[in-house]
Amino acid sequence: MKNRSYLIISFALLITITSFGQTEVTLKVEPSPTIVEVRKPAKIKVLAFDEDGNELEETETQFWPVQLRGVDESMIFTKGIEVDSTGAINATQVGEYDVFIFRMPGEGQQFARIQHKIKVVNQPVAEINVLESPTEIFEGSMTQLKVEVVDEGGTKINNPDLSVTSSKDEVIGVDDFLNLYANSLGKSTIEIEAGGLSASINLQVVKNPVEKISLSVPNTVARTGDVLQFSTILLDKGGNAISDVPLVYSVNGKPISPGAGASAMIGQDGRFVAEDPGFYTISVSAGNRSASKAVQIGERSISRTVTVKGQGRVSDQHTSDLWVWEGVDGKDYAVTGTWGSDGKAYFWDVTNPSSIVKIDSVQVDARTVNDVKVSEDGKVCVISREGASNRKNGIIIIDVTDPRNVNILSEYTDRLTGGVHNVYIYKNHVYALSNGEWYEIINIEDPKNPKRVGEFQLGNSANSIHDVWIRDGIAYSSNWADGIAMVDIGNGIKGGSPSNPVEISRAHVNGDANHAAFPYKSKDTGKFYVIAGDEIFPLAAMNSDNLQDVFIPSGYLHFMDMTDPDNPQEVARYEVPEAGSHNFWIEDDILYIGYYNGGLRVVDISGDLMGDLYKQGREIAKFLPYDAKGFIPNNPFVWGAQPHKGHVFFSDFNSGLWSVQVDPVIPDNTEVQMK
Amino acid sequence: MKKLLLLLCLFAHLSYAQKYYAYVTAESEDEVALIEFDGKEAVVAKTIPVGYKVSEIEGPHGITVAPDGEHWYLSMAHGNPFGTVYKFKTGTDQVVGSTSLGIFPASMQISPVSGLLFCVNFNLHGKMVPSTVSVVEPNAMMELKKVPVGVMPHGSRISSDGTKQYSVGMMSGELFEINTLSLEVSRILPLDEKVDHSKMDHSKMNHMNHSMAEGDGMQMQHSATKPTWVQPHPSNGKIYVAGNGTNEILEIDGTSWEVTSRWACGKAPYNLDITPDGNKLVVSYKGEGATGIWDLNEGKELGKIQNTRSISHGVAMSPDNKYAFISVEGKGGQPGSVDVIDLVSLKLVASAETGKQAGGIAFWKVDP
Repeated sequence: MKNRSYLIISFALLITITSFGQTEVTLKVEPSPTIVEVRKPAKIKVLAFDEDGNELEETETQFWPVQLRGVDESMIFTKGIEVDSTGAINATQVGEYDVFIFRMPGEGQQFARIQHKIKVVNQPVAEINVLESPTEIFEGSMTQLKVEVVDEGGTKINNPDLSVTSSKDEVIGVDDFLNLYANSLGKSTIEIEAGGLSASINLQVVKNPVEKISLSVPNTVARTGDVLQFSTILLDKGGNAISDVPLVYSVNGKPISPGAGASAMIGQDGRFVAEDPGFYTISVSAGNRSASKAVQIGERSISRTVTVKGQGRVSDQHTSDLWVWEGVDGKDYAVTGTWGSDGKAYFWDVTNPSSIVKIDSVQVDARTVNDVKVSEDGKVCVISREGASNRKNGIIIIDVTDPRNVNILSEYTDRLTGGVHNVYIYKNHVYALSNGEWYEIINIEDPKNPKRVGEFQLGNSANSIHDVWIRDGIAYSSNWADGIAMVDIGNGIKGGSPSNPVEISRAHVNGDANHAAFPYKSKDTGKFYVIAGDEIFPLAAMNSDNLQDVFIPSGYLHFMDMTDPDNPQEVARYEVPEAGSHNFWIEDDILYIGYYNGGLRVVDISGDLMGDLYKQGREIAKFLPYDAKGFIPNNPFVWGAQPHKGHVFFSDFNSGLWSVQVDPVIPDNTEVQMK
Repeated sequence: MKKLLLLLCLFAHLSYAQKYYAYVTAESEDEVALIEFDGKEAVVAKTIPVGYKVSEIEGPHGITVAPDGEHWYLSMAHGNPFGTVYKFKTGTDQVVGSTSLGIFPASMQISPVSGLLFCVNFNLHGKMVPSTVSVVEPNAMMELKKVPVGVMPHGSRISSDGTKQYSVGMMSGELFEINTLSLEVSRILPLDEKVDHSKMDHSKMNHMNHSMAEGDGMQMQHSATKPTWVQPHPSNGKIYVAGNGTNEILEIDGTSWEVTSRWACGKAPYNLDITPDGNKLVVSYKGEGATGIWDLNEGKELGKIQNTRSISHGVAMSPDNKYAFISVEGKGGQPGSVDVIDLVSLKLVASAETGKQAGGIAFWKVDP
């Protein structure tokens, strides 16, 4: 293993404060560079000089370490290092820290401050501990050692410089990654060295009891994206099943044509999925025994065309969210919000998706109506407000019994003044996001007199909530870096209710950008997923002159298997390159996504899910709503999508409400009719 | 006589030849406008888009120009959940740094003595709990400390000697003084008059509906004064506070640390500024879309000027004591504006239209 050397950097940046008529003071820190060992007393000294280089008398000095900070209840605490007013350093974590040093002015002197770096390194190595050390390994197998190195202060050393050797490479070989290769029967001593210390273990390579491996799979012909479950049975010489020999699965692919690629993955639970058509050989080894099985993977071939049925164009302002519902008269309606404008929401008759007709609107004191929802009975609509001129914001409750003559029933702003970004209606209660910190729960049984009954907040003001969606009495909130929270608001699993919401579980979502969540039980597998969507915009876009290039969003949909809510697992993703995910909907194992600049995406999520669904060809259809008469012409930016009675409705930021039909698949045996 | 007229014409020409520049935020547009005023006309010389989230309003709220004029700083109120302060180079208006602050960071200023930036974390819409003032080292753009202050702190202003930072707790009704060197609160002054709460008509107080639910375990804070801004006098040691809830200007003696006067004023005074010569106080009356000009020596209002929109917000002063620049929010889709008021004639002399909800405003420079 290569030895690494620490690059030691320490610099000081002097900040000069100009104040006429006073002595300018220059600071110097000793020792410089400052390198200290973790959990070992150390001290820095600050020297002050006037313009002529004369050292000045000591005054009160303050030290402000600023890195590796955490935030709790909006207060900062510094992790890893403290420096007291005498310059004494208490370093508890390895790393590099910026410390600002302030010197209070003496008589006739200027205030002075300096930025100084302190590097904290480990103390010398004190212990090398081999964790979970085996005493025997099977011939032909590979296993990895787990080693922990601790310094003299008791601090675990991250990424220690280690070297590993074997006394008999012909018996057990080693590599830089602490892997051990059981080459032949016999004994060997493995020695691990770090920081001048060493530790060793004695290992014996024993005969592999496995005589036969049976590898099976239900289907040997499948499509890309189909998850195949391989099963392995190990038998000893007597034909008895063995379970204590570790299995290693691997896959080798052969593309269907040169240069096409043959990408696939297999988990160590035997589940296999391919992204590309081709011929794949799946192998499993148990020590020096192995077995293989070939499968043929064909194109998924689920691509379908999209036909535009209608559009309710909004060309004078941005459009935000949509909701489509069957009205009390049996006809179909939609409501859309507006963004960054004058507080309007539009109501549409979409009974005939080919002829979307604007039938009414409301205008409220707001600049953005970000979210719109309609109650299950189709009678009450709730719209959110942001940018109200009186800064009260809140929600507006609207009677949509007759969508042609909608009627504002009430305004509710209590504890919602910060702007409501998202809402959900469930069983006569509105769940309204407040200030991005918590959601208020408001009873609207009497929609003219809404009443607050509860709230849910993740923890403290350092936590943030962006959206909430409800199914079967469980509220699924999307919480940026805090992932997804499942809260019982009436399901009963935790005894929760609207007035007593009780958290069930929480799942971290990789990327820390969880923006939307949609619960979904797979019809085919019975597995319960929560699809967690990102929203990510590039910080590089801030104040750039090249907006078209830098405003491209990113992010994807994470498939969280929450069948066991106490053990959530991220198992798959759907990621469109160079586009950003936003709001989505699932119906009958089909996912409909508003993918911002990626347009509308329709995705097959039937069966078991594993890996990258986009690369597996699970996309059924896509549609980019170019509109030359849009608010920003020809600039597709799809906000959200909702299937309704065989059509897909979606709202586009720049062009309003659309309806499309995902065309039926033409059977392969269709005969072309010739006249 | 002819010479006198000639001199007057020359003076007028020189005066008009000067160009005044101020930066103003458009909170519901995610823009900052650079306003140029030549003595006659105010125009938007440049619009600077700020924020990076296409489909989110990030809420540029507070703005300040560094004492040396080389950079301007902008607080973006919205975040997940914390807001951010960005540092821009004046002139090029390019972002050169940023750091995360608290919830809804708002007004801020830099101490000319310590060089540190003090920004209130307004937490305008959060729960009614004490918030903080963030102290930022602006060269490295690193937050050093959050100094606990009152509920909904606003109006971060630095004393002319640079050693004290003032803010008011809008809902706790307190004036806070922070030592800009030790970064500790040095004094707190309750601003509400002692009254019998049982006799107060709370329905007439604009508490923005910040009611507290039972069981939150926090004491309800609801100042009657509802101070929204504080402005230290440039030379006489007094401090002025906008009593937004009681429609008054409070004069505070900075030495004895007591309220010495309460002047009845227009409806819902919001922001304040004082001419550099210390003679005039300019007040935005948010509740009536107007600006008040006060003679500080006499303690009386010289005039009230109607603004071009109905929600007057920020105040910035030209260094030559001649003009006040007032940001005015507008409603809904209506653009915001910056009104320029001549402090001698007490008239609105120019106005420029900006993006929606013009708010924070900071004077940059005068070009000859």
